[in-house]
Amino acid sequence: MSQSTGSASPRPASQKLMQLAVVGAAALVVAGGAAFYYASKNVKPAAAGDAITVTIKNGACDPNAITVAAGPSTFTIVNQSDRALEWEILDGVMVIEERENIAPGISQTLQAKLKPGDYEITCGLLNNPRGTLHVTPSAVSDAEAARPALRAYLGPLAEFQVFLVTQGNSLVKASQSLDAAIKAGDLEKAKAAYQSARVPYKQIEPMADQFADLHNAIDPVADYLEKREQDPAFTGFHRIEYGLYTQKSTAGLENYSTKLLADVTALKDRIRGLRISPEQIAKGAQRLMASTAETKVAAGVDHYAQTDLSDFEANVAGVSRMMALLKPVAVTAAPQVVGDIELRLTDVSTELKALRGPDGYPSYDGVNADTRKVLSQKMQALADAIGKLNAAVGLE
Amino acid sequence: MKLKLTLSASLFALSAAILPGVAVAEVSPLDLVQPIADYKIYVSENSEKLVADTKAFTDAVKAGDVEKAKSLFGATRMSYEAIEPIAELFSDLDGSIDSRADDHELAEKDPGFTGFHRIEYGLFAQNSTEGLGPVADQLMADVTELNKRITDLTLPPEKVVGGAAVLMEEVAATKISGEEDRYSHTDLWDFKANFDGSRKIFDLVRPLIEKDEAAFVTKVSANFDAVDTTLAKYKTADGYELYDKLSEDDRKVLAAAVNTLAEDLSTLRGKLGLN
Amino acid sequence: MAANDKGLVTTRRNVLFGVGAASGVLATGLGSASAAAKQEEQVTDAPVSGKTQERQPFYGVHQAGIITPRPAAGMIAAFDVLASTPEDVERLFRTLSERIAFLMQGGKPPVFDDRLPPSDSGILGPVIPPDNLTMTVSLGSSFFAKRDWLGAHKPKRLSRMKAFRNDALDGDLCHGDLTLQISSNTPDTNIHALRDIIKTMPDLLVLRWKQEGSVPVLPPKPDGSHESARNFLGFRDGSANPDANNTELMDRIVWLTENSDEPEWARRGSYQVVRIIRNFVERWDRTPLGEQERIIGRKKATGAPFSGETEHDVPDYVKDPEGKVTPLDAHIRLANLRTPESGANLILRRPFNYSNGVSKSGQLEQGLLFICYQADLEKGFITVQRQLDGEPLEEYIKPIGGGFFFTLPGPLDETDFLGRTLLEAAGHAVTRVRS
Repeated sequence: MSQSTGSASPRPASQKLMQLAVVGAAALVVAGGAAFYYASKNVKPAAAGDAITVTIKNGACDPNAITVAAGPSTFTIVNQSDRALEWEILDGVMVIEERENIAPGISQTLQAKLKPGDYEITCGLLNNPRGTLHVTPSAVSDAEAARPALRAYLGPLAEFQVFLVTQGNSLVKASQSLDAAIKAGDLEKAKAAYQSARVPYKQIEPMADQFADLHNAIDPVADYLEKREQDPAFTGFHRIEYGLYTQKSTAGLENYSTKLLADVTALKDRIRGLRISPEQIAKGAQRLMASTAETKVAAGVDHYAQTDLSDFEANVAGVSRMMALLKPVAVTAAPQVVGDIELRLTDVSTELKALRGPDGYPSYDGVNADTRKVLSQKMQALADAIGKLNAAVGLE
Repeated sequence: MKLKLTLSASLFALSAAILPGVAVAEVSPLDLVQPIADYKIYVSENSEKLVADTKAFTDAVKAGDVEKAKSLFGATRMSYEAIEPIAELFSDLDGSIDSRADDHELAEKDPGFTGFHRIEYGLFAQNSTEGLGPVADQLMADVTELNKRITDLTLPPEKVVGGAAVLMEEVAATKISGEEDRYSHTDLWDFKANFDGSRKIFDLVRPLIEKDEAAFVTKVSANFDAVDTTLAKYKTADGYELYDKLSEDDRKVLAAAVNTLAEDLSTLRGKLGLN
Repeated sequence: MAANDKGLVTTRRNVLFGVGAASGVLATGLGSASAAAKQEEQVTDAPVSGKTQERQPFYGVHQAGIITPRPAAGMIAAFDVLASTPEDVERLFRTLSERIAFLMQGGKPPVFDDRLPPSDSGILGPVIPPDNLTMTVSLGSSFFAKRDWLGAHKPKRLSRMKAFRNDALDGDLCHGDLTLQISSNTPDTNIHALRDIIKTMPDLLVLRWKQEGSVPVLPPKPDGSHESARNFLGFRDGSANPDANNTELMDRIVWLTENSDEPEWARRGSYQVVRIIRNFVERWDRTPLGEQERIIGRKKATGAPFSGETEHDVPDYVKDPEGKVTPLDAHIRLANLRTPESGANLILRRPFNYSNGVSKSGQLEQGLLFICYQADLEKGFITVQRQLDGEPLEEYIKPIGGGFFFTLPGPLDETDFLGRTLLEAAGHAVTRVRS
């Protein structure tokens, strides 16, 4: 028979590619580390605001040989000679940047975005010896060189849309069950439906929380409302959670479940119409992870059901999916960043998994402050790693 | 009726209508996200349907129910045929799911001849399910694996858009002859699915070119309509007539439509700025 | 359906400059040619021909490709026509005319954005050489039968070919609404032209069958005389063909004129017969030379009749009533009785040899792509073929395809197009505007 059966079939190409990419990323992390060591010893960092001062006196520049990393650099030219002069960066005979007519005793700043290569700098009078400017490759220049074209994101963006639509559909479906169970007065069923609705919502939260009106209707926390649980603006998931888990009844929740269903349906439709640009993926993931790490982990938001760990797991699953989608495009341009993100993702997942018992996650009020702190730190590290991605692939 | 065009003017009009103009409409890659996402959903739905339908079909084969299996054959294939541009990206599965006898050196007797057409051969040419059990098991496993791989696949945009023409090229080159379903003669079911799959892609990207390529859009739609009208003549209660019922005139209408669609849709990738 | 796998007609460059090029081209071309000659030839260098700029006129009283001297490569492509309304048929005829005019003239096809499929297949390069191309358009009886608005205008003698005695017709190689006879110096030029038509009119034309053929190329004779080419039986074919330079003769036997009883729109046209005649060449090659010659009625080496010295000598059957010199059933004797009355049965032949592949029995699928033109289909080919029925040659040949067609009158000038007279006759007004 054919070589392919269900169990022994060859892996899909994409999966193989992933594995290769991971190996490649690991190798590049080592190489990248070495490069960073070299760079830190010899090269002035190119961070904006960290200007390189060049003093011109007695017909010479000091320093006369400058090395910077590619990307934006700021130069402060101090004229300590007795006449006005100009300062130029030359590529062969071409002037890349210049400052003219710098008066004696005055300094001027000049910003230049430089590509890797060797340049000359003029130091005052034309017959003065020229200085050298050596521009080394940097993360910025590499990203630009390997900056993936917008087209490369087409597949991942489409797949992200598919993900959002699928999760959006699950959310609507589960909210329907929730609404039905509440209206039928079935508390246990309602609790189950509540939990199944929560998962897709949390998975698409990085996109969902962009719609402030819906977000405030679907997922407000009583802590931020003036009259807390008694506030009329206390609606959505947590209001229902309050009823199901604290009041232990479906009574009086009918209007809230009707409204929630309407709101998540609207959310699904709005997400469907989103025209998402590539940088929004990492941005959304970063923002969600950071806000979770900063606030939600410490205090929790599921005050009545104490199911925060499930929420976090769904959040991380969503972020993980988003990163997996970007990876094939980003891995060539930014192997180090991609590798770091994967490392941090594994860290967070491992941490969550360790908390999981045989019956699933424990009640969040049983998770002590130290554990919460570790979890928060790991999420923050993940957020930070994701925060570097857009710049590394030239999306900023 | 008077045609007031000069020869050279009509030549120009011809070029404009049939051959694409030099200018390519500017379509931002981001405009394609939605159509491709929608197409992925379409593909996923079909691939899930394929799994469900194949289950029923292979169950009938394994139960030795020749008549039931025969009756399910044409319909089961449709969800595969509709998404063929994507399904055939996995050449190992395409080979074991949908290869024909003449893809194999020993034809029907070749042990590598598996999948739909091997079962078709058993059911329709030999009127028996004898020896088809393992083939049915494998087909089920293959479509299940296909469904899984499709879920994990990020659709290559040029394959999606190019798929509209690919489906027509396939029909033009190897199906219009009736050689695809040579034992069952259920070719019209396949045609319908191929045309629907192609039209789905066209309809999804249509809003992006409708403004700049109005004549093109009208022409392609008209040809799809012509195909639908022709195929509708052969619709039966539960599917389509056998291929030998297709009249010579209608075969020609389909052949011309499919060639014209293949010709026109071959410009779709370029019109959308995909290489 | 059938493909010609025969490589063909490449004038070797060492003879080219001696014979091929027209003198004007030669004079200007010599300098660069001798410079290029210094470069050593490479295996994959393109073969060189001095004839790529030869050009036949598209416009004229008659279509090109009938009395035009037959070049080395030919093809018949038969199509089914989808156009059914007068408007669509006009579009078909105009588009065909435009494409043929362009292809016969040669030149640069339009260049598109490279994200689109190119306008031209490119197999002849970015500038298309005319290469002696002619494309001749003819219509089958089904073209008229399927369009009731045209039924009354069918040429009187146009019929659907019926099987003759020895025929074993394959439905996939017969008939068609429209044929293109494509001839040029090279098979590639013909293929390029065919692909252009297919690409341009997929909604109007569906290819039904095609057959390519070739004619062996001979070196020119020092005295400027011409010989007939040989067919795959090894015999000269065409020795007794009527003189295509004789206008009066052509008007009598090839063209429909005002003297004919045919519809007026058909004047300047002609009846085309296509026959794909398979030759059993293995068996033929195992037949004694004497028997081969008796079957044909000519000497194989020279092509001369038994009573003559050269191929153009005319056999005298009056002196040979019992067939002692030329057997009574010899092919040439049955085909042309050479009686005072048989002048009415003359046809103008323009055949090509074809070679397709191997039969299921492992024999060569070769033969003759027989093409002929005549003013009267019945008095012409049909009468001649009936005379030939039962000839001894039948043991070695088997007609398997072809059909009867009517070749449209020529497009008179740039304001005209193929088929115009037919559309006008059917009451469909068309505009003639000079381009």
